[in-house]
Amino acid sequence: MDFIFYPQPLANLISSFARLPGIGPKTAGRLAFYLLQHPQLAEDLAKAISAAKNDIRKCTVCCNFTDKDPCPVCQSARRDRTLLCVVEHPRDVVSLEKTGEFKGLYHVLHGVLSPLEGIGPDQLTIEKLLLRLEGVQEVIMALNPTVEGEATCLYLSKLLKPLGLEVSRLAHGLPVGGDLEFADEITIARALEGRRII
Amino acid sequence: MAVYHADAIVIRSREYAEADRILTIFSREHGKLQVIAKGVRKPKSRQRGGTQLFTYADFLLYQGRNLDTVSQVSPKESFAHLWDDLERTMAATGMAELLDLAVLTGQPQPELFSLTLTFLFLLANYDPLLILSAYALRLLTILGFSPVLEECAECGGRVKGESLYFSPPAGGIVCDLCLENFPGRRLKAGSIAFMNRLLKNELAKLDRLRWPVWMQQEVRETIQSYCEQKLERPLRAWSIGKTLGI
Repeated sequence: MDFIFYPQPLANLISSFARLPGIGPKTAGRLAFYLLQHPQLAEDLAKAISAAKNDIRKCTVCCNFTDKDPCPVCQSARRDRTLLCVVEHPRDVVSLEKTGEFKGLYHVLHGVLSPLEGIGPDQLTIEKLLLRLEGVQEVIMALNPTVEGEATCLYLSKLLKPLGLEVSRLAHGLPVGGDLEFADEITIARALEGRRII
Repeated sequence: MAVYHADAIVIRSREYAEADRILTIFSREHGKLQVIAKGVRKPKSRQRGGTQLFTYADFLLYQGRNLDTVSQVSPKESFAHLWDDLERTMAATGMAELLDLAVLTGQPQPELFSLTLTFLFLLANYDPLLILSAYALRLLTILGFSPVLEECAECGGRVKGESLYFSPPAGGIVCDLCLENFPGRRLKAGSIAFMNRLLKNELAKLDRLRWPVWMQQEVRETIQSYCEQKLERPLRAWSIGKTLGI
């Protein structure tokens, strides 16, 4: 590596950037030099990283990232406590909240079953999910429509249905603005299955 | 070969960058390849359907400096039966893990390709654990690691009895005189005979095989330890499948 040509603190900064996903050594070097030329930005960034690291933790109820525990959604009296939406990532909660359509509670799994990558039920927050089902009537699976997402839905429904809960999942079908010609057969089959009378 | 076709099955898929996926595909012509499918996690991507795990598709790839990129993909078979059934998904996952560990990048293995494709189709109707076990034994046979199940793997002598000693390092069953030097376990003779049928029966007759639960467990564990011995890696997906009750 070129690190021997840099002063130690700069080399450390570049190698730290290079460990981030999607950032290679060249981009890491560019970012590091940019920060050196913009000291105020560097200071703000350092503060933001440190604040996020120290103040953000996982909500003990829903496992979403939060600065208050339990998180505002879990604490809110206005949310429908009979509905629980299971999502893969904290960013999926944001996507669902942006729609303004869902008024229930969330549970973040922090992944899906992916045995090929060594992720089994123990690596997810399934145990915590099973401990918070009091008062819940319906569990909505809002996982990605991939093989792993489907497998996780099937596994969870196997656990939840015997408890007398209604288990549903988001509809599958053609995306808004999509093209029927390029849709695969599973998508079209699911879209036909879930068609609606207009 | 700047742009080339690959008739391939997606055996591994992981998220990369904003909306891309890095796929491991196993192709008839070029063997195992790692390719990048750009933008396929966006809902409007035209390649999304063909790049899902276990999909069999015709890929048009162009060569890149590190990874080749998916330019076009037209799915031939999506194996819809794998999407609705956890046991079938786990069996296909177990098959994909074995295949990924067993083959080297860029080495065509047409026989293994046909085997994999056939067994993915068979998963639609046959017992998933039976298919996974038969696939594992046949894959090892193609690679030259066929287990010795009819005679002592060490001395070639006859082996008889109600329970037989199977040793992964020895490469099969071992007679009482030879077993001292080999770690292994005792199995009921019926389990060994069943493994032999999984290995040698015609595919069309595989669904006629019936096995009790104890035998399923015994055969599964034996095949897993044999595969781990020969491929020199732990089978993570197999172990996780077991914790899920499959």
